[in-house]
Amino acid sequence: MRSIDTSRRLLSVLALLALLQGCSPTYYPPRGERLPPPVVEPGSQLPGEQRQPPPVVSVPQPAPVTRPQPPAVVALLDTAERQANSGDLEAAAASLERAIRIDPRNPVLWYHLATVRLSQGDAQAAEQLAAKSNSLASGNTVQQSRNWQLIARARREQGDERGAATADQRARELAGR
Amino acid sequence: MTRRRPRGRKSSRRKRNHKPFSWFKLLLVLLLVLGGYVVWLDIQVTAQFTGKRWSLPARVYARPLDIYAGQELTPEQLAAELDALHYRPVRSVQQAGQYSRNREEFHIMTRPFTFWDGEEPARNLRVSFTGDTVARLADRASGSAIALARLDPVLVGSFYPAHNEDRVLLQLDQVPAGLTDALIAIEDRGFYQHHGIAPLAILRALWVNIRAGGVVQGGSTLTQQLVKNFFLTSERSLVRKINEAIMAVLLELHYSKDEILEAYLNEVYLAQDGNRSINGFGLASYFYFERPLVELSVDQYALLVGLVKGPSYYNPWKHPERARARRNLVLDVMAEEQLISKEDAARARSQKLGVGSVGRKAINTFPAFLDLVRRQLQTDYRDEDITSEGLTIFTTLDPQAQWQLERVLAKRLDELERGLGMERGKLEGAAVVTSVQGGEVLAMAGGRDPNFAGFNRALDAYRQVGSLLKPAVYLTALEQPQRYTLATLLDDSPLTYTARNGDIWEPKNYDKQNHGMVPLYQALAHSYNISTARLGLTLGVDKVINTLRRLGVEQKLNPYPSLLLGAVEMSPFQVTRMYQTFASGGFATPLRAITAVLAVDKTPLQRYPLNVRAAIEPGPDHLITTALLYVVREGTGRSVYQSLPADRNVAGKTGTTDDLRDSWFAGFTGDRLGVVWVGRDDNQSTGLSGSTGALRVWRDLFAGFNDSGWTQTLIDGIEYHWIDPATGLLADAGCLDAVQLPFIKGSAPTESAPCVRGLGSLPEAVDWFKELFE
Repeated sequence: MRSIDTSRRLLSVLALLALLQGCSPTYYPPRGERLPPPVVEPGSQLPGEQRQPPPVVSVPQPAPVTRPQPPAVVALLDTAERQANSGDLEAAAASLERAIRIDPRNPVLWYHLATVRLSQGDAQAAEQLAAKSNSLASGNTVQQSRNWQLIARARREQGDERGAATADQRARELAGR
Repeated sequence: MTRRRPRGRKSSRRKRNHKPFSWFKLLLVLLLVLGGYVVWLDIQVTAQFTGKRWSLPARVYARPLDIYAGQELTPEQLAAELDALHYRPVRSVQQAGQYSRNREEFHIMTRPFTFWDGEEPARNLRVSFTGDTVARLADRASGSAIALARLDPVLVGSFYPAHNEDRVLLQLDQVPAGLTDALIAIEDRGFYQHHGIAPLAILRALWVNIRAGGVVQGGSTLTQQLVKNFFLTSERSLVRKINEAIMAVLLELHYSKDEILEAYLNEVYLAQDGNRSINGFGLASYFYFERPLVELSVDQYALLVGLVKGPSYYNPWKHPERARARRNLVLDVMAEEQLISKEDAARARSQKLGVGSVGRKAINTFPAFLDLVRRQLQTDYRDEDITSEGLTIFTTLDPQAQWQLERVLAKRLDELERGLGMERGKLEGAAVVTSVQGGEVLAMAGGRDPNFAGFNRALDAYRQVGSLLKPAVYLTALEQPQRYTLATLLDDSPLTYTARNGDIWEPKNYDKQNHGMVPLYQALAHSYNISTARLGLTLGVDKVINTLRRLGVEQKLNPYPSLLLGAVEMSPFQVTRMYQTFASGGFATPLRAITAVLAVDKTPLQRYPLNVRAAIEPGPDHLITTALLYVVREGTGRSVYQSLPADRNVAGKTGTTDDLRDSWFAGFTGDRLGVVWVGRDDNQSTGLSGSTGALRVWRDLFAGFNDSGWTQTLIDGIEYHWIDPATGLLADAGCLDAVQLPFIKGSAPTESAPCVRGLGSLPEAVDWFKELFE
């Protein structure tokens, strides 16, 4: 019994030390800073559960603006660029999709795919793909601005002048940030 | 001929003075007839041979395995992939199709393969692992790093034409010279000298046949054999034999020896596999040895050449001794003709037959998935194109995921039946696994028996979805941020709803309890029926139907209140489509099984591009997926963590229908979405809820994937706040049960909960302190 108590106390002290090291004394930690996991509701563990469910969801972090691209993705981007420059847009799209399979949350890849689709004349698909890139590019205003520029072009090609103007406006706002 | 001559004589007797003229006329007529006949045959031969296009079945390939540094892949998975491709494990890698493994380092000589985007050359790779990650990929010759390589894809099936002839077409330069030399030595020694027929060989055969009193030997040249297969029936008559000889000579007049040999190599019948005939050496190599012709050794060529004489008589599985003797005879002839040395022949004679495993040849490995591929092809191609145009079809199938799914589904259903004391084989299941962002179908099970090519439950079993539908109700609410947030308290007290026609609806909770006022995210997490029904009725059933439509649900939906609790029949595939939209950030992504199709000459025919369509605003999608995370963290889905590591976030939802008829689970990680249904074909009760049935299959499946956890992407217009779940109001350190929830900007509560005592943030610190000083 005593040894259990001691070890428990020791664990608690260690945990406290860890906590003090890891946390700043701000009131609400600013967004983007990692929060310690919230406490598990007492009694939330149900009879028959072998393992305690881990603490609930923590706040998501914005994706870093400049993140290292895996070499495989860089190679595929090069290939896609070469293919697009030589006029083989469909092959470029295939290479970009292969890159997306490797790194599906990379907004740059979705943006390039949107660009290729626009060059192929599929403005509707391009607009959607750029929007998808936007949804993955939080905090990356440079990428978002590019996406909105592309959306503006795509809308213009679809004859949506007003939508294009709105998109241009968004692009400018983001570029100004 | 013999009857005409006397008739001619008779007439000549009557009109003596015309005799010479009549003879001449007759001869002329005969020559003309014969000449006409030859011309007619010639037209036939040239027309058919020049225009000869074998109908080639479509070949269906799994996704090729990409290999790159930093990839999450276990050495075992790589080995399994190489095994499925029939790469031979060797000590020292010398040729394509071989690999060696030294613990965490692989040497692989890949096979060249023509993909959609061009030819992938054969590569000499070194793949080094650190744990479950590819640490380095390099070229073995130069030692320099390679960014990305891919293996040839696993062939998972073919779509055969009605007459069931199957072949892999080869060009002459793709056939090893050793094989053609052996073939000529055995079947037609004078091939390069004769003009289509070899009179001496025919005389010899005639002599043998006369002595035997029937046709036992053919003196046919390769050309004659080809003519027979190409143009004639297998009937054995003199007329046919004469036709064959004439046509053989004609063929030789028009075409080169190489053209004739190439046609022969592709045409010759070499095996029967059920009702499928195996034609040509290209396919025979795969059929007997599970690898391409270029990778065969001398003894293996010799066996194939020997089989030409009689594939069933020398069947190496049924009659290994006959096959061995025949092969060795071929080897002896090869040595005599000095095609190989005596020593090589002796060594080859001592080899085992080396044929692959019998019995799983014609079975299309993954019938449920192939069914989906065929249906998706049928929207663009006619049936005869699919079965005869020699299409190469690249699919999204991940064999590793598929094997894992087949294993766990069969095993878990067995265990569930044992646990329930149910008769074995009563439970059925179906599942679909896709990639979260791309919507690519990675695996599919149409039933517990993966080899059964019948009823495909993943596509065709329409069953009530129960609580799987609830997220659509909650999403409809969360799309009105000024009225509803994740923290909004919902009323779970008893509900009596009277329809316009007087019908009374009184939904009950699964646990038969009422839970008072519950925050919205918890009502979904615990799948409370009453609060969901009340919410849905307040929103309007029509609004919820509109949401379902945006999520890609296409079938007829009746606007009855029971729809809110999942009285809607959907197939597992349709459920997957709905959850795909949640998982991919609110973008509906068509579920694709095919990525590209190549024509018979390997030129690109069609690509199935990745497309997305914004279906839900990113903000509400962020909220609904957060609620789905709570389902698995705290709610009905929490037993997922009995198999999955605690730090792997999973979002999902259970579904159970009346009388426990259907057990569902739909859930996703950062990489994959899986939907599992468990139920009975007779639609009787299974005794299983979503979490005691389908969820267990799901967690067995995902325990085998090294996926990353589901991570929310922080998006603009979302902010997080600490909330006291009891009141749905702002919390601080004084609130022990506080949770952090996302809100669409401006929609968070402004009032503080009663538990707020100004103690500041970090409620967990308080807990730790309390424990320390207790």
